[in-house]
Amino acid sequence: MTSRSRLPRLGALALLTAALALLAAGCGGGGDKSASGDQNAGSNEGKTYPELKVIWDAPDYMDPALAYTVAAWQINNYVYEGLLGYKHASGKEGATLVPYLAEAMPKISADGKKLSFKLREGLKYSDGTDVKASDFRASIERLFKVDSPGVGFFSNISGVSGSSGFAETKKGHISGIVTNDANRTIDITLDNPQGDILYILGTQFAAIVPAKTPASDQSTKGIPSTGPYMIQSYTPSRNFVVVRNPNYNDQIPTMPSGNPDKVVGKIITDPVAAYQQVATDKSDYDFQVVPNDRLPEAQSKYKDQLRIYTSPNTYYYALNNKLPPFNNLKARQAVQYAIDRNAIISGVYGGLGKPTQNFLPPDYPQYKKIDAYTFDLAKAKQLVQQSGTSGATVDVYGPNEDPSKSSTEYLANQLAKIGYKPKLHLLSHQVYFQTIGNQATKAQAMFTDWYQDYPHPLDWFDVLLNGNRITQTHNNNPGNVDVKSVNAEIESLKKEEEITPAVNDRWAKVDKDLMVTDSTTVPYMNRSQTDFFSTRMDMSCYSFHLLNQWDWGISCMK
Amino acid sequence: MATESSTDFTLDTAAALAEAEQGAIEGKSPWFLAWRRLRRNYVALGFLAVFVVIVALCFLATPYAKHVAKTGPNENHLGETFTRDGKQVQIVSKGGFIGGEFVAGGIPVGPQLWHAGGRYVFGADTQGRDVAVRLLYGGQNSLKVGIGSAIICTFFAVVLALLAGYYGGGRDWVISRFFDLIWAFPVLLLAIALGTALSINGFHHFGINIEAGSLWIPTLVISFVLIPYIGRPMRGQILSLREKEFIEAANSQGASSFRVMFSELLPNIASSVLVFFTLIIASNILTEAGLSFLGAGVQPPSPSWGTLIADGQTRIATAPWLAIIPGIAIVLTVLSLNVFGDGLRDALDPRAKVRIER
Repeated sequence: MTSRSRLPRLGALALLTAALALLAAGCGGGGDKSASGDQNAGSNEGKTYPELKVIWDAPDYMDPALAYTVAAWQINNYVYEGLLGYKHASGKEGATLVPYLAEAMPKISADGKKLSFKLREGLKYSDGTDVKASDFRASIERLFKVDSPGVGFFSNISGVSGSSGFAETKKGHISGIVTNDANRTIDITLDNPQGDILYILGTQFAAIVPAKTPASDQSTKGIPSTGPYMIQSYTPSRNFVVVRNPNYNDQIPTMPSGNPDKVVGKIITDPVAAYQQVATDKSDYDFQVVPNDRLPEAQSKYKDQLRIYTSPNTYYYALNNKLPPFNNLKARQAVQYAIDRNAIISGVYGGLGKPTQNFLPPDYPQYKKIDAYTFDLAKAKQLVQQSGTSGATVDVYGPNEDPSKSSTEYLANQLAKIGYKPKLHLLSHQVYFQTIGNQATKAQAMFTDWYQDYPHPLDWFDVLLNGNRITQTHNNNPGNVDVKSVNAEIESLKKEEEITPAVNDRWAKVDKDLMVTDSTTVPYMNRSQTDFFSTRMDMSCYSFHLLNQWDWGISCMK
Repeated sequence: MATESSTDFTLDTAAALAEAEQGAIEGKSPWFLAWRRLRRNYVALGFLAVFVVIVALCFLATPYAKHVAKTGPNENHLGETFTRDGKQVQIVSKGGFIGGEFVAGGIPVGPQLWHAGGRYVFGADTQGRDVAVRLLYGGQNSLKVGIGSAIICTFFAVVLALLAGYYGGGRDWVISRFFDLIWAFPVLLLAIALGTALSINGFHHFGINIEAGSLWIPTLVISFVLIPYIGRPMRGQILSLREKEFIEAANSQGASSFRVMFSELLPNIASSVLVFFTLIIASNILTEAGLSFLGAGVQPPSPSWGTLIADGQTRIATAPWLAIIPGIAIVLTVLSLNVFGDGLRDALDPRAKVRIER
């Protein structure tokens, strides 16, 4: 998904294209499928306070069908809810799926193609109207009508894909979603079993909104909500106000009811200005990462108000495996040795990051640390010589804003040091990923990063490095990584219903095969970020969620 | 930018000039008189010397980088150390999670002056690059763009002004509307728009191929947007001159239009052109710095004073030298050119006022 540093990734668009060719796969996933009980969320509940003032980044949209930035999801996760959601807990426990509007986790058919949900009884929207089972179908259909960036996630539901599918016609109903308002039941039928479908149903794209919601962006108008809060006002690029949902009545016992009565957000995109607002106690929370230039001050002067976290993300250099010189294994290995991961983190990111050689972040149970490369320029030069690619021109692409720009400059410089002739192309964030995702660009080495949409290895290896999903445009695999044996293994792993230690080992092998054996890509960092608070906040309540970042709903004031 | 070209006369002007020239102007050429006036203007000559020194230093960048700093302008040194007074010093401070505790890093070493044997005289940037080396190479680029665009801009502006002013009529109308069209845009916004568009894919039309990172892009963009600022006042002067007797005389003798324009009119506006040229170099260096600061001028990793300031402004609290040093270089260069330009104007035409104002 879009990273916190506002780098748009078009994962979902690629998903739409590729999902049409989904091969047989298994249903399952990491969620506790048998879990059905209401679970108490967090120990900070009940410490209510009148107002939370926050400095926020500009969300792309506030409409759950369109929003695809952390800035929007972090707010909306307390406003618009779906059948499933994540447990409000810090650490790995936060990746656990629990039923939100659904009464329990779904019943799944033996062939993994049918999921049956039942809505909780007495659910209401913030405007007092009843939540109906048919609203779920309407909400998914609305995604297609508004051209949501999340449509690709749902293309495996029966009746969506194909020339007469809902994605194409946008008429009638999706045949794979059958609802019964009287019984509150929702049955979802898939074309093929899909290992990550439950996680997808836990994303904001699957939030239930009233069936009558217009099929257009409702960010500034607001949509009746089902969560503990509702959006009272939103003025793009300026501010937003979130207040309690008057008709909530603790209808979702698996999530906190929220501590602040009101959240007043001011949108400031300049990290220095945002930092100053909080440092001077004019606001309570700085969404922006504290700039490198102010980190030493923040650490020494405001240490108690600063929290540093590393959400599941990977920053990596994509090398075009299909074009010279990086269609040569030794040339790719040379880049692995030419990158001083610790030096990038220190110099470019001010120390805010952890070096990695894995593609999968360390938060995953499938993660097995790779330690295959040490920074060795001499060895890198030798490999370039052996590859016979020395002196080749390399078109290096990156965004034109720091720190991504500096990271790209570093890559270009290291390529020059090992014998290539890099040509640097720095582009605006707005067009960067579209440009490198277009095969016509013929980019050879690129800056890129990825933040998880949901905690499943498929969101990494299938979306980003499965050669079967390479597209001409909007390509999420700009390095054109296409290792046949690994592609087959990814397709096979989709069929696995349960996340078992054996399955985890297979995912770890995929990681190793791609990063070491074939050295397809150069991961270098899991980026860390900051949460910075005013002196008014009670930091003993601080809770960081793997997907939704700082859990503001269970924050407390002194 | 607004350009004012006007001439102020007083009854005492001639007498004052004669007195200033100490009466010894008979039989001397205007250029000799101008040189005599200029060499008495020690302030202007002093600033000319400053400019010459800056240019010389910038064009000594390569030997300085090779033999003194021992690094290239784009060569990063992240994770490396250098020797200062016999001790190893980290070029960019280490940071990260050390023993589970976060340590802020990425602070580059400050100006070493001569304590490190000529390395990092003005400190390092966040990639461990030598700021002094980048300053000199950046100066080369800024001066190349500034002077190059001034030459191109002045050449086209004067040619267009001559054509418009001498011929008048339809040609004058077309050229004047062209000036008006460019004039209608805020100069910096037009330059940003052109610079941004061309810096992505370069220029590949009409058989001309300019790569995206080429210095020709900011040079040509600045030349283009500033043409009316010289062209319009020059056209005004030519309109006035073409009614003079010496032009009528040349025409009556059957001189060709080309000869009248370039042998009769051009020498008479040469002093103004020279003054404009000097002043517009300074203006163009500032424009280049602005464009590069905004990412629409010289493209990274190539340095220019504007890109150096842009890189430095994000580190103003922990490494202020990164922005201050190139800022001083721009101020000194522009100031020296402006003061010298004023002196040159006073020397070439002590009765005229020619100003380029932004």
